[in-house]
Amino acid sequence: MLKRIQEIYSYREMIVSLVRKDLRGRYKGSVLGFLWTFINPLFQIIIYTMVFSVIMKSGIDRFYLYLIVGLIPWIFFSSSVNGGAVSIINQQDIVKKIYFPREVLPISYVTSSFVNMLFCFVIIFAVLFVTGVGINPLAILCLPLVMCVEYILALGIALISAALTVYFRDLEHILGIVTMAWMYLTPIMYSVDMVPKNIIPIFNLNPLTPVIIAYRDILYYKRIPHLDTLFQATVFGIVILLIGSITFSHLQKNFVEEL
Amino acid sequence: MNAENVIEVKNVKKKFKVYFDKGSSLKEKILFQNRNRYEDRFVLRGINFNVKKGEAIGLLGKNGCGKSTTLKLLSRIMYPSEGTINIKGRVSSLLELGAGFHPDMSGRENIYTNASIFGLTRKEIDKRMDDIIKFSELEEFLDNPVRTYSSGMYMRLAFSVAINVNADVLLIDEILAVGDVSFQTKCFEKLKEIKAKGTTIIIVSHSMGQIEQICDRAIWIEDGLIKEEGVPKFVGQHYLVEMEGKRLEKIEEEFQEKLDEQNINDEKENIMSIKNVRNARIQSFCSSRAVRTGNGLVNFINVKLYNKEGKETIVFKSGEEITVKMNFRSNLEGIKSNFAVSFSRDDGLYCYGTSIYKELDYLVDIDKTEEVTMRILNNGLLQGKYLLNVGIYAEDDIEYDVIWNVSEIQIMSERVDEYGVCRLEHYWQVDELKLVNSIEVTSIGE
Repeated sequence: MLKRIQEIYSYREMIVSLVRKDLRGRYKGSVLGFLWTFINPLFQIIIYTMVFSVIMKSGIDRFYLYLIVGLIPWIFFSSSVNGGAVSIINQQDIVKKIYFPREVLPISYVTSSFVNMLFCFVIIFAVLFVTGVGINPLAILCLPLVMCVEYILALGIALISAALTVYFRDLEHILGIVTMAWMYLTPIMYSVDMVPKNIIPIFNLNPLTPVIIAYRDILYYKRIPHLDTLFQATVFGIVILLIGSITFSHLQKNFVEEL
Repeated sequence: MNAENVIEVKNVKKKFKVYFDKGSSLKEKILFQNRNRYEDRFVLRGINFNVKKGEAIGLLGKNGCGKSTTLKLLSRIMYPSEGTINIKGRVSSLLELGAGFHPDMSGRENIYTNASIFGLTRKEIDKRMDDIIKFSELEEFLDNPVRTYSSGMYMRLAFSVAINVNADVLLIDEILAVGDVSFQTKCFEKLKEIKAKGTTIIIVSHSMGQIEQICDRAIWIEDGLIKEEGVPKFVGQHYLVEMEGKRLEKIEEEFQEKLDEQNINDEKENIMSIKNVRNARIQSFCSSRAVRTGNGLVNFINVKLYNKEGKETIVFKSGEEITVKMNFRSNLEGIKSNFAVSFSRDDGLYCYGTSIYKELDYLVDIDKTEEVTMRILNNGLLQGKYLLNVGIYAEDDIEYDVIWNVSEIQIMSERVDEYGVCRLEHYWQVDELKLVNSIEVTSIGE
């Protein structure tokens, strides 16, 4: 395991250049180019805000802000899971011909989605300042930790889905449905308080719930998240990453034969 | 692991599942369970070899023998089903050139991407950058997007990156055919230089020349097993002779089949075309490439080749006896003719020709003769494909019937150490010693 991590570390330049290639190549040729990184989530936010604060009134104060702090981390997570799933298949030409630790591919995909999220946080901070809500500097200090936990979580799930999709191609499409359901099962557009008490235990099994709650505490409520929440999120993240990397290293031996 | 070995391959086997009809989607997996039947096919059936530091090994073998699989196992792209492979140090595999190139990015950026895939860090790439650029000879184009490159330039850039990854073990699969001749030579020189620095190299190539030049040892793999291992020159010769033998066997087989068919056809033909031989210009005894000219006063009706045992064939060994038998028919009485026989090589080079009249001042009386035979006691032709030409001429060189390429013959040789058109009978002498077959040494006086 340690040897594996060392090896992946020695391939760090490959991760960096794949991330750079992905970020630069993604909108190459389109007129608005990199702006699409912002436009896409911006419109999602506008649409959801219209629906939930004009048509189906949720009664949450400043709903747009409430939504945005959960939605942008969610977009990162769901794109990591969906894109991570096909990261090996889409690069099968290299996988078949060159040796490198296969983990590099999902890692770089998740990382590039992560960098994308960081750019999108510009929107969040812009909204915070423009509307005069402002920030709590002490709470903001917790933000990198929460982001790290979400990264670990997303990476763990991306590793599992990437490895399984090689053997079982339907997973790519199944995951599309799963992430859609997952989004509504995560308190992004509503608060945990609205969830009926009797299903709360099941609800708490969702590893993303504490992460989103933490984001919201920091940015929306401007307070330091509960230690409980942070602890829960971290444990979830580490466990899933462990499962992910073990599954991956086990399955990757036969990748080339299955591709 | 033995201290001086860099690579140890122990009893490595590799099997692949060969699906009869593979489905990888859920529907296919559930609905067509019987389609998921597969059989195991062993590509490697127990391979053992060790490689010392700085050694260069060439892997030989026909397509599908398992040499590329071996290389993939060594590079850890695949894992063996049984057995172990131990490698010390960084392995770099040049199985694919230009991996990860992005057409819209500049040459320089692509160098970074490509080199990083080989596991280099940014520092290491920066250090090698000048060497890579210099080697690729693409200085002026380096900041243009790669999509504007010609395919030769593309490959040159890719090769330059690959060859400058200072690995401890370098695996190369059939990629030395890059760019123009001068660049190829340069790549080859670079490989030699890398080898001299102590890098272990393993090459898969079909070019014996390349393997002989660079490798210390050749390994011939056949049907998943090592068939021979040793000095590249000798292993290569054995390999080539066997490959050639197999090819000729096949040609011989086809020829015999055609012969059987022909015998039946000939009987029919003889009945049908007795009156009008002229119309059937290209007859069944001629090869498909035959060209026939002449006024037809005298016609060949059969031309056949026999070996020493009197068996009809078109495959001969170098130095073997060849007999050319010609049968003919005349449409006029009282003709005297000259017979000519010549050989050309497959590429058109005229090798040898002679005629009975010019050589012996003799003309054949057609009415009284049934068959003219030329016996070549010791053919000096070297390995290759040759074409037989025959002709019947009048005394004043007017063509009665000339058939170019009447037969294609294959000459095979156990030696591949001779070059040119034909073997000249000779021996070597060193002072008073006469050398025979490079083994026996006899004194000239004896």
